[in-house]
Amino acid sequence: MGLVESGKLPKPLTKLLNISRKYSMWVYQWGLACCAIEMGAAFGSPRYDVMRLGVIPFPASPRQADLVVVSGTVTDKMAPVIRRLYEQMPEPKYVISMGSCANCGGPYWDSYSVTKGVDQIIPVDVYVPGCPPRPEALLEGIVLLQEMVANEDMAAKWKGDPLVVD
Amino acid sequence: MIRLSSTDIDNAEGAPATDELRSSLVEGLVAELHDGVVASHLVPGRDVWVRVTADAWESAGRVCRDLLGCTYFCYLSVIDWLPSPFGRSMDSSVDNVLEGVAAKDPEPMTHGVAGGESRFQLIARLYDVNRHVGVNLKVDVPDDTLTMTTWTKLFGGANWHEREAYEMFGITFAGHPSLRKLYLPGDFEGYPLRKDFPLLARMVKPWPGIVDVEAMPGVADDEGGE
Amino acid sequence: MTAISERQQRAYIASQAADMRVNVELETEGMTLNIGPQHPATHGTLRIIVKLDGELVVAADPVPGYMHRGYEKLTEVRTYPQVNTLINRIDWLGSFANEVPFILAAEQLMDVEAPPRAQWIRTLLFELSRIANVTLFLGDMAVQLGAVTPVFYAFRDREYVLNLIESATGGRFHPNFDRIGGIKDDLPKGWIAETKQVMVKVNAFCDELEALLLGNEIFNVRTRGIGVIPPEVALSYGMSGANLRASGVDWDHRRDTPVGLVYDKLDWKVWTHPDGDSFARYWVRLQEVREAAKMVIQLCDGLPPGPIMAKVPRIIKVPEGEAWVATENPLGEMGYYVVSKGELVPFRVKIRSASFNNISIVPWLLRGVYVPDVITILASLYFILGDIDR
Ligand code: SF4
Repeated sequence: MGLVESGKLPKPLTKLLNISRKYSMWVYQWGLACCAIEMGAAFGSPRYDVMRLGVIPFPASPRQADLVVVSGTVTDKMAPVIRRLYEQMPEPKYVISMGSCANCGGPYWDSYSVTKGVDQIIPVDVYVPGCPPRPEALLEGIVLLQEMVANEDMAAKWKGDPLVVD
Repeated sequence: MIRLSSTDIDNAEGAPATDELRSSLVEGLVAELHDGVVASHLVPGRDVWVRVTADAWESAGRVCRDLLGCTYFCYLSVIDWLPSPFGRSMDSSVDNVLEGVAAKDPEPMTHGVAGGESRFQLIARLYDVNRHVGVNLKVDVPDDTLTMTTWTKLFGGANWHEREAYEMFGITFAGHPSLRKLYLPGDFEGYPLRKDFPLLARMVKPWPGIVDVEAMPGVADDEGGE
Repeated sequence: MTAISERQQRAYIASQAADMRVNVELETEGMTLNIGPQHPATHGTLRIIVKLDGELVVAADPVPGYMHRGYEKLTEVRTYPQVNTLINRIDWLGSFANEVPFILAAEQLMDVEAPPRAQWIRTLLFELSRIANVTLFLGDMAVQLGAVTPVFYAFRDREYVLNLIESATGGRFHPNFDRIGGIKDDLPKGWIAETKQVMVKVNAFCDELEALLLGNEIFNVRTRGIGVIPPEVALSYGMSGANLRASGVDWDHRRDTPVGLVYDKLDWKVWTHPDGDSFARYWVRLQEVREAAKMVIQLCDGLPPGPIMAKVPRIIKVPEGEAWVATENPLGEMGYYVVSKGELVPFRVKIRSASFNNISIVPWLLRGVYVPDVITILASLYFILGDIDR
């Protein structure tokens, strides 16, 4: 993988890598509130069956995950924990923010204890609107993210920074 | 001798004019606490409120639990009777401050049923699960000390409720085993449920839902329906 | 008051003994274990700090607040119909049930009464949300104990109920369907017949779970005699709902303080269990789902014709006064103490949610239990974070 780090990855190889990355997303479920139940329905119920999209909702810890779905209300008390979770994930990592609360504060936009959007703490790739979004909406968000991953330029993503393993 | 202000019984139609079960609760409290009961209010068939003095707060809980059978602890909370300095409702709230309308003169503080004298009032509710009746107990929290005696020795459930009251209103409970913050992060400042605690998000952005109370085009009478 | 079996009595005494730390022969070092705030066993963002002595819990301190959204403050800056939207989200599994006590309290202050048909539909949706809520518990508790299958059944059958709620109200989760003076819409065509079919499925689900779990040796060993709550303690902590009835206290708002709903016209039963342990709590909830399905069918049959909305002004101003209304929600007693000053917005709303009281017993209950039982007890108490933190 030295090619990735040096930023000289040939195009076809990037495509290949991207396809494999796209269909083996390990997703960590960071369920916080009502939206967590819809996320649970999308990931856990037989009707929506997320695994057909090549998404695996089983990692036991964020350290094994490529993608985290933050679903629900982020409170100021929770924010540091989310930041820490995000820092634990290995690169390349993606974030889906699910529900109005995680997007912007939602119905609690004027509350004294709610963070107005998880994007104040961590970068978000896909926003799924709704209160709560239907499980299908979350699935669409995942498909969108997969499209994004498929078109990603690995070389640009790494910017030549060497991988440091500590 | 019995200082009961339950003259203001509003006679809801259909409801019985008297409510022996509930008035017996009031009488039971008066018989035990004598002057500890300041006022009471009874709506037959619905509910009863009893206001006690701050000194009688703990014994009122004890009398209810041991003598009147109200063993089920429902909740304990605080009401802040201060009229909100940010206006009384949506049409006169912070949104108007934004638009440059001078804030209204502060209104006088008015209290709810069973009266009151102080800014903060504690309210607790107990149930008798055998007789299927509940009682609301109110007490004025002294304005200068903002301290009450704890109920944790009487009801285990009071522990968290008092911690919540402490965090949200800044009322201290003497004798509480561990009066700490319950919900908010440790560095949070202020008592959010006090009326004079501003919601900062509303200060910087007008409330988008205000259109809800605007007149609809074509509707002449706002109070329509009647 | 209640007959606790000898075995449970012993378990209770043993836990009390452990509590007093009589076990001093084997000196072990204490350890502090942090569970949560995001942990599968807390199904939500509850954090519990437990102090362990070997495998024994010496002290437990739950740290709620990771989901505190400030409802009580926000209700003071929302009009009554807007509050209704907000409070849907307190207990997010049985949303419709959250609206009802608030609307009833507002109606009580305004002195309006919903027409009979609206009351019946309210009760109907109330019981449907109970089913939607408690079925998930029935599956989830098994997951906590290591049986993965039931939760898939629960999600499967819950989906049918959610579909019903959606087709009637337009929202799977947060219907916001109740209005002061009635309900928003009438039921759609064909809904009644479909509901009855779904209730057959719900009953089948209950039978299935009963066959799968209640006779299961592992399930029994892990739940019987675990987390025994005597009735006096349950009362003093203000436990409510199935948690209270599993301790043998016969108290149900639906039957005992009927307001605005039509439970008195139905034929149903309040189930209690004398044991007060985790098994009893599971058992009572299972019966309650059955009972709810039974009630839904009766409600479908007896639905009276007529209007669904009383006459109320278009802009709702609630007259001055104070009212308390509580109903028996899926999680337990949920009540609103509404103080109105005759404005568009409430002056103060105290939200008494069931899980808050139900979980405040945890420090008492977890002392002297073993670590694996912590999971059982937490699962059996059945809380929803939004309902604790509000
Ligand atoms: S967006 Fe709506 S459904 Fe989702 S967590 Fe927030 S309030 Fe709940």
